[in-house]
Amino acid sequence: MTSHHRSALSRIAVALAVSGTALAAHAAKDITVAVASTFTTTDPYDANDTLSQAVAKSFYQGLYGFDKDMKMVPVLADSYTASKDGLVYTVKLKSGIKFHDNTPFNAEAVKATFDRVTNPDNKLKRYNLYKNIAKTEAVDATTVRFTLKEPFSPFINTLAHPSGVIISPAALAQYGSKGIAQHPVGTGPFKFVEWKATDYLKVEKFDGYWKKGWPKVDSITWRPVVDNNTRAAVMQTNEAHFAFPVPPEAVETLSKKPSLEITASPSIIQRYLSMNTQQKPFDNPKVREAINYAINKDALIKVAFSGYAIPAEGVLPHGVEYAAKLGPWPYDPAKARALLKEAGYPNGFETTLWSAYNHTTAQKVIQFVQQQLAQVGIKLQVQALEAGQRVERVESAQDPATAPVRMYYVGWSSSTGEADWAMRPLLASESFPPKLFNTAYYKNEVVDSAIAKSLVTTDKAEKARLYTDAQKQIWKDAPWAFLVTERLVSVRAKNLSGFYVIPDGSFNFDDVELK
Amino acid sequence: MAVYLLKRLLGLLPTLLIVAVLVFAFVHLLPGDPARLAAGVDAGPETVELVRRDLGLDLPLPQQFVRFFSHALQGDFGLSIRSKRPVSTEIAERFGPTFFLTIAAMGWSVLLGLVLGVASAVWRNRWPDRLGMTFAISGISFPSFALGMVLMQLFSVQLGWLPTVGADTWKHYILPSLTLGAGVAAVMARFTRSSFIDILKEDYVRTARAKGLGELPVVFKHGLRNALIPVVTMMGLQFGFLLGGSIVVEVVFNWPGMGRLLVDAVEMRDYPLIQALVLLFSLEFILINLLVDVLYAVINPTIRFQ
Repeated sequence: MTSHHRSALSRIAVALAVSGTALAAHAAKDITVAVASTFTTTDPYDANDTLSQAVAKSFYQGLYGFDKDMKMVPVLADSYTASKDGLVYTVKLKSGIKFHDNTPFNAEAVKATFDRVTNPDNKLKRYNLYKNIAKTEAVDATTVRFTLKEPFSPFINTLAHPSGVIISPAALAQYGSKGIAQHPVGTGPFKFVEWKATDYLKVEKFDGYWKKGWPKVDSITWRPVVDNNTRAAVMQTNEAHFAFPVPPEAVETLSKKPSLEITASPSIIQRYLSMNTQQKPFDNPKVREAINYAINKDALIKVAFSGYAIPAEGVLPHGVEYAAKLGPWPYDPAKARALLKEAGYPNGFETTLWSAYNHTTAQKVIQFVQQQLAQVGIKLQVQALEAGQRVERVESAQDPATAPVRMYYVGWSSSTGEADWAMRPLLASESFPPKLFNTAYYKNEVVDSAIAKSLVTTDKAEKARLYTDAQKQIWKDAPWAFLVTERLVSVRAKNLSGFYVIPDGSFNFDDVELK
Repeated sequence: MAVYLLKRLLGLLPTLLIVAVLVFAFVHLLPGDPARLAAGVDAGPETVELVRRDLGLDLPLPQQFVRFFSHALQGDFGLSIRSKRPVSTEIAERFGPTFFLTIAAMGWSVLLGLVLGVASAVWRNRWPDRLGMTFAISGISFPSFALGMVLMQLFSVQLGWLPTVGADTWKHYILPSLTLGAGVAAVMARFTRSSFIDILKEDYVRTARAKGLGELPVVFKHGLRNALIPVVTMMGLQFGFLLGGSIVVEVVFNWPGMGRLLVDAVEMRDYPLIQALVLLFSLEFILINLLVDVLYAVINPTIRFQ
């Protein structure tokens, strides 16, 4: 080979190397996230599912939010002060932030957003959460004043709720209250690109994002992959960088692949059996205690949750603000039998157990409970209700005295991360169906007054004392069989970092990066 | 012929009208309150009422029917309860992927089914027959859910040749159409075989052979055309079913099709969407039937339109 040739070759090699690095530097960092169900809307104020709200966090941000451990943090807000009477909250905003359409973010934008949801004419599904706001005023460009109809101490948590995002007022005016769902414009790190119903929702990097240097990826494609096995398969073929939830049966195969990492993270999703305390035999606290003693939670976790859960440690799961650790309730079938005898049911009784869901995990849970209670003489007829049946039989029952529900397997996660929304809808006597979900029809003076008093108390220590008392009372009265708190299993490609499943089953991807 | 077609198309209207009435009645008989379902778990009674009014479900039933019907006549099927997008958009987005997948699946499965069926009939009780019918029985018996997962495991996960989910390129069509078509190919093969065996026993086939025609012209000129009539009927039916979308294949391959749309709609008691979908499915079946009738005349010119 002549030297001429060699130099030509080396030139090509250099050129290739240079273009190679150039390519690497400009390589699009596109990530795909596989999730379990289709999104319902891109408007968080009209969404009732965690997933739609989690995805909306790509383009929207709230005044407050939750970090990856579900600690409340200011996002677009800087700080707040509450008045002594708990009626007026003044929030200071960050400045220099722009929406995707270049509209400046300021107090007027906040006002426009909250005026929209608090107007019942807009018929938004999250009206419930914000209806307590009497008025929102823009004091100056960076100060907003919320005046409430009645004192409500977890108000800032409500602002941190994933639905409480700030929408560009210009876009709101342009597209209208209904149209904004097709054209979301927020302050988030990503701009909305397109949403193809079941196929995917795509967002791309917003260059004018207020946190300089972020986001570090160019786009996120949210892909609903409903089938469990398929969701595992797209991770194996590298078609997705993150998948949640991971079916327990797929964990073993996925963990064998060196490029993937499985994470089981704590959650505030609790599972329990409510017992209709207005009806025999569940009006007798001994029967309810007996049922708590009769169920082996550790075995339940192995059978139904493949090990990805922990026994319930109290009325509220750890991670919810003001949760008290009271358990777990011990497994003691002998004691259960003794209690049933004392209650006048030495030979047990027959009753029904309904499940609010009909997926496999729920089926396993109710069958396991059926088998466990049979050991102490309680014969259960089990039935997993389909969504429509659930609404008809349980949630729409008009009269507490004749409500057909007896034992009911269901779950809850407090979407504000706070004790009020974890207790009031489920255990306050004002929350009997059809109003809310106190399916145990549980009524206790101590609990009711603690919940009501906490709402008007801004003093944290006092609130903690009230909530702890209430939880102790509930644990003692046992209107529920306290079962488990789930763990959330997700899988990520190892070159992806900063993408988390947070305890309420939503996502945090503020620091997402792809290496 | 044109008059016949026109008559048939006009006859479509009363059928659709009856379907519309029935569907409306049945949908409202389903247990469960759509407003409660749409409002979600966190909602209080006030929100449920807001949602109910938003969806127009607070009106008396007859009034709701009149509203549905008069709007439907103008081609407006309302907004989906679940997504708040126009029902027509929701359906249009899904129709394409389902339609092309149906064509892809029907294409290969009908051809393969015909070949297997004819071969099995001609070489009846010999090895091509045994082989063909083994395939047909497995095709019918093997659940498509399992077949889809096996195919995906093999070709996407292990070999990495084909993508798993989505409907963007022709490659995405291969695995779902194989899964979807397997059952159809099997049915077609069985049908063609039995129809062909009957035909081969006919007098005119014996006559054709007796006058010294070779086996090929006997089978393809005299046999095939006559044997096709029941096969085409079956083909039409299968085509109609596939156009309704296959929930199984759509779940496994995450296919953005009509089957899941309908199941999701029923789950959420999405009245406007269910009504529009059922009407569409009825229309599809009627049109396919018409097409099948026209095909009869093409295949066998002795069939005349009345």
